[in-house]
Amino acid sequence: MTEQEIITKVNNALVEEFELDPADMQPELSIYQDLGLDSLDTVDMVIVLEGTFNFKIREEAEIKKIRTLGDIHTFVQRKLSTEA
Amino acid sequence: MNLWVYSLLLLITVVGIIMTPLLIAGFVITYSWNVARAVRHVIWLYGRLWLVIITPFVDFNRDGVADADIPHNCVFVINHLSFFDTYFMGSLPSSDITFAVRSWPFKMFWYLLFMRLAGYLEVEDLSWQQTLDRGIKILHAGGAVLFFPEGHRSRTGQLQRFYSGAFKMAVASGRPIVPLCIVGTDRLLPPGRKQLKPATVRLRVLPSVDSTAYGEDGGHLRLRKEIKAQMTQELELMRQLNTDKTGGDGAHE
Repeated sequence: MTEQEIITKVNNALVEEFELDPADMQPELSIYQDLGLDSLDTVDMVIVLEGTFNFKIREEAEIKKIRTLGDIHTFVQRKLSTEA
Repeated sequence: MNLWVYSLLLLITVVGIIMTPLLIAGFVITYSWNVARAVRHVIWLYGRLWLVIITPFVDFNRDGVADADIPHNCVFVINHLSFFDTYFMGSLPSSDITFAVRSWPFKMFWYLLFMRLAGYLEVEDLSWQQTLDRGIKILHAGGAVLFFPEGHRSRTGQLQRFYSGAFKMAVASGRPIVPLCIVGTDRLLPPGRKQLKPATVRLRVLPSVDSTAYGEDGGHLRLRKEIKAQMTQELELMRQLNTDKTGGDGAHE
């Protein structure tokens, strides 16, 4: 999967799950302040990403450091590359 | 209308604040309730008085509100259109309802003490685990927990994004979830307005949903989507009824 395909897949999954505006899916935006997610949504986000990419990430400490949409893209890309 | 409603609301609030200690003591002694349960009953009575006050100006229609239709210890979810939505919960058959709300209602100093005594869940102040633990305790003790899954009032009249907390609590507790749909309160008092207007308000209790069928990983997300779809469909029908009745005047402003 290319970098752009991963970004698109992440964005589509989050737009669908959290009813976000596709136009708001900019990597520099904070998932909390700008996209309006809360801490409980972060738990749901993990479930959604696990379902979308068929990996397990809920135990990973790096999840707690995610602040922006770009952080999610980078995290997923890194996770997929280590699993490849 | 505004003079009548706000004056009487102020009167019952002041009298209620003065009378509440006596009422709480009376309910605690009579029914062997704890203080929180007694305060929730007082708040419910306050809601019922509100329904009497607005009677001359609000045509209030209820559907599915019979006691037998609603499990007592359940998780309620309701759409949110107006500050006064909570007052209409006085029409529900059970008074043992704990509201799970954001922090702003706790800023109303005249209600603050009662909300604290009633054990309301301040979801922005508590951690999710604390909210979940307290909610499950309430549900297992026979009470109900009510959420506004949108988090705040809709300014368009349409359902907004649903947060997951209520659905997660229902699945974790194994208790049913009961969707409530309300329309017309955005005509009575929408966000950003202080003047009340006469309205037709409809409250419909939808059939309860068994949350134990959603126990798989992420099952609460499926439950959330299904309930939202059900509520969206029902609200559309209810809005149509209001529009037909008022000739368009009942629609969201």
